[in-house]
Amino acid sequence: MAEKQSNGLVKYFLIAISVIFLFLFLVLPLYVVVTEAFKKGAEQYWQAVSDEYTVKAILLTLEATVFAVVINTVFGVFAAWAVTKFRFEGKKVLTTLIDLPVTVSPIIAGLIYVLTFGRQSILYPLLEKYDIKIVFAVPGIVLATIFVTFPFVSRELIPVLESQGTDEEEAAALMGANGSTIFRRVTFPHIKWALLYGVVLCASRAMGEFGAVSVLSGHLRGKTNTLPLHVEILFNEFQYMPAFAVSSILVVMAILLLIIRSIIEHKGKKETEIR
Amino acid sequence: MSEENKSYVELKNINKFYGEYHASNNVSFGIEKGKLVALLGPSGSGKTTILRMIAGLEAPDSGEIIIDGQVVNDIPASKRGIGFVFQNYALFRYMTVYENIAFGLRIQKQSNDKIDARVKELVSLIGLDGLEKRYPSQLSGGQRQRVAFARALAPNPHLLLLDEPFAAIDAKVRKELRSWLKNMIEKLGITSIFVTHDQDEAVEVADEIIITNKGRVEQKGSPIDIYKNPETAFAAQFFGQTFFVENYRDFKTFDSVEGASNAVLRPEFLKLTKKDEPKKYSVTIAKAIVQSVDFRGSNIEVTVKYKNNIFIARRTLDEAPVEVGEEVDIFVYRLLVLDGDKVHLLKNRALDEESVVI
Amino acid sequence: MTEKKLKRKTKNVRVIPGFGLSLGITLTVLSFVVIIPLATLVIFTAGMSFNDVIMTVTKPRVLASFRVSFLTAFIASAINTVMGIILAWVLVRYDFPLKRFMDGMIELPFALPTAVAGISLTALTSDNGLVGSFFAKFGIRLAYTRVGITIALIFIGIPFVVRTVQPVLEKLDPSYEEAAGVMGADRFTIFRRVIFPEIWPAAITGFGLAMGRCIGEYGSVVFIAGNQPFETEITPLIIMSKLQEYDYASATAIALVMLIFSFLILFLVSYFQARNTKMIQGGR
Repeated sequence: MAEKQSNGLVKYFLIAISVIFLFLFLVLPLYVVVTEAFKKGAEQYWQAVSDEYTVKAILLTLEATVFAVVINTVFGVFAAWAVTKFRFEGKKVLTTLIDLPVTVSPIIAGLIYVLTFGRQSILYPLLEKYDIKIVFAVPGIVLATIFVTFPFVSRELIPVLESQGTDEEEAAALMGANGSTIFRRVTFPHIKWALLYGVVLCASRAMGEFGAVSVLSGHLRGKTNTLPLHVEILFNEFQYMPAFAVSSILVVMAILLLIIRSIIEHKGKKETEIR
Repeated sequence: MSEENKSYVELKNINKFYGEYHASNNVSFGIEKGKLVALLGPSGSGKTTILRMIAGLEAPDSGEIIIDGQVVNDIPASKRGIGFVFQNYALFRYMTVYENIAFGLRIQKQSNDKIDARVKELVSLIGLDGLEKRYPSQLSGGQRQRVAFARALAPNPHLLLLDEPFAAIDAKVRKELRSWLKNMIEKLGITSIFVTHDQDEAVEVADEIIITNKGRVEQKGSPIDIYKNPETAFAAQFFGQTFFVENYRDFKTFDSVEGASNAVLRPEFLKLTKKDEPKKYSVTIAKAIVQSVDFRGSNIEVTVKYKNNIFIARRTLDEAPVEVGEEVDIFVYRLLVLDGDKVHLLKNRALDEESVVI
Repeated sequence: MTEKKLKRKTKNVRVIPGFGLSLGITLTVLSFVVIIPLATLVIFTAGMSFNDVIMTVTKPRVLASFRVSFLTAFIASAINTVMGIILAWVLVRYDFPLKRFMDGMIELPFALPTAVAGISLTALTSDNGLVGSFFAKFGIRLAYTRVGITIALIFIGIPFVVRTVQPVLEKLDPSYEEAAGVMGADRFTIFRRVIFPEIWPAAITGFGLAMGRCIGEYGSVVFIAGNQPFETEITPLIIMSKLQEYDYASATAIALVMLIFSFLILFLVSYFQARNTKMIQGGR
């Protein structure tokens, strides 16, 4: 009896600690965003959110996110296929290089691109000749976003494809199926959920990227300002209410993606259990 | 030339390395059209490598693979006209039974009517009518095996290759499936090669057995042939129930083989008699002690010890029972003497001598 | 002799199509996004004099920033390791309402843009913020101090330990503990002797991953840090200000030290991760 009681006590104690911890560190910040955003009423909130620069920032964020998702998805699918379906030398180096970007501080990621495409770069004369602006321009922001989310899709696909093995593809190839048929009919059904999951992860990180984008943007309002950068500017100008109003857009997007993510995870798990 | 025409599949001096590992060491053999052949050997003996090279899933480092008179080394797997049944079936997990079987035909861009007819024909051939809409995960192991078989057969291959076809099936179903597969292949008359590590399986299913060991082919022949006349020490010991005898001279009245002392015994090489039973060849009898007696359904296995040798003799259920610790008489008809890698089948001289006397 | 010769020309067949295409696309994209920029960094570094680099990274202000970054990241990750084990335990072993919601919440720091986290944590902990005002009564300041930086880093690092320990706990066979319990071990002994040895490689892995992330973190920290030289200036911020002054050489020098640090951590993590996966697969 005493054993049982202490068991229950430990349980509720641990649950209480967990709940308090998560409440303080996760729930309260969200609560603050909402209360601060609506501090001066809905009208003011709407004004901040529909501000010309805010809208432009939303569009730029979407643009960078779409680019990052598309490129990293295409890359991720091909890279995962190459890495899991074939034996070749240097595979380990390849996967390490693919994973490298997420281990680098975003600031350093930005720095690397500034060195590569900035004024002191050996590539700079070439870029200038063709009038290509990367640093302090939209392409730089897109590149930085691609970099920080680079392995997000491939990282989800590789373990799934690895555990699936190569038997089914070999069987299909033996019967004369070509690459696209094999991928479409045999491989894709296996990775469908993992792919979607990777895309959502990639999107949610891409829209929120701050450090790397901050280095490359030059902070030109209405031109090279993404939503997170816009938040920074407003906050540093002591425009707290608008800063939180713009933040609330990001919060909504983040939570939406979080929900989609857990739905995908749930559905994917259910389906892989059946097969 | 005529030699080549006789073999439908032929391997000539095949070598294959995986890094340092010599997976195929100068492998050569031929297989006649219409035969059902087993590649038999312990794991790591290189049997699967041979099968995968014939399929085109691996390439030999040297040597030629000939199918139907044509060197296929540079012909891609998909153009070799073979059907392949993978060890774990490799069924397309996200396709129904129907779509699995239809896959090869769809790749060949056959008309839907034709595909439908062929799939239906195969489904009833494998006895899975009504299960066309199931997914592989909804089938039993034996059913999956049958689907894999049907899928491989659908595009009408000339050669069927099966990699450990029964390995993933539980023992009870396995026996039933073996005879099913044998009948099916006989009915279709398709040249087939399957890989197995289970000698019972090879004996039961195959017309011909190729024994592999350490990347080499040890012997090729009909099951009975290999059983009666093993050509190598490995074949002698691997095939059938065998017991190793350190010094065969422990048994009397056998010819002497220069430089050899090891031998292999089989239960059917021996006759075990109780002390009070009449015996034919009283001179050369060995006195052994019974170690254990095990009932094996149709007969009784008696483990005996003679000098340092322990081996099994069989007795029928009708014969008088023997007990543990009893001293019994053993007469050895034959021995397989191992001389390096060569094998000599020795007959007990007493058999000739006394039959002459009688 | 002949064997040697044969071995050298070992052939590989690729039955599955698409090797050239997939590897080609992979290498092309990888070159543009990762290899060329990294090569530029190497080339740029090669052009710097070793003495200059040492001079730059040993300036007191830079050294102080290393200390601030490392210290706060370490403390935050340590707290997250303890909390991560507790959270993973609670999520795996207990059933209670809103458990799934809580499990989903853990991912929030990955999903929420760091800048948003930064400003809301700042507002929360500043002297007139919801939490900050409470501590202010006792004369404790949270925002614009190292405590504030640590708070931001705790937020960022929450998911790491939870997500590495959780799968190990799920795979852990309860019969172990039952066996220990039958033999009369008390709960604490069971945890210490039976469960802890199983989860600590995972916990260390999570700690390392969190640490690596925290050292490089910028977005959530800049707002709450106050950015006072020697006191609350983190290394990424120094790099940022060097960049804004177009002092690329100094920025690169400091970045190199950070890179070495994070690769060192990563190396240790992958060592533990290898042990960890072995353990998970072994438990299957």
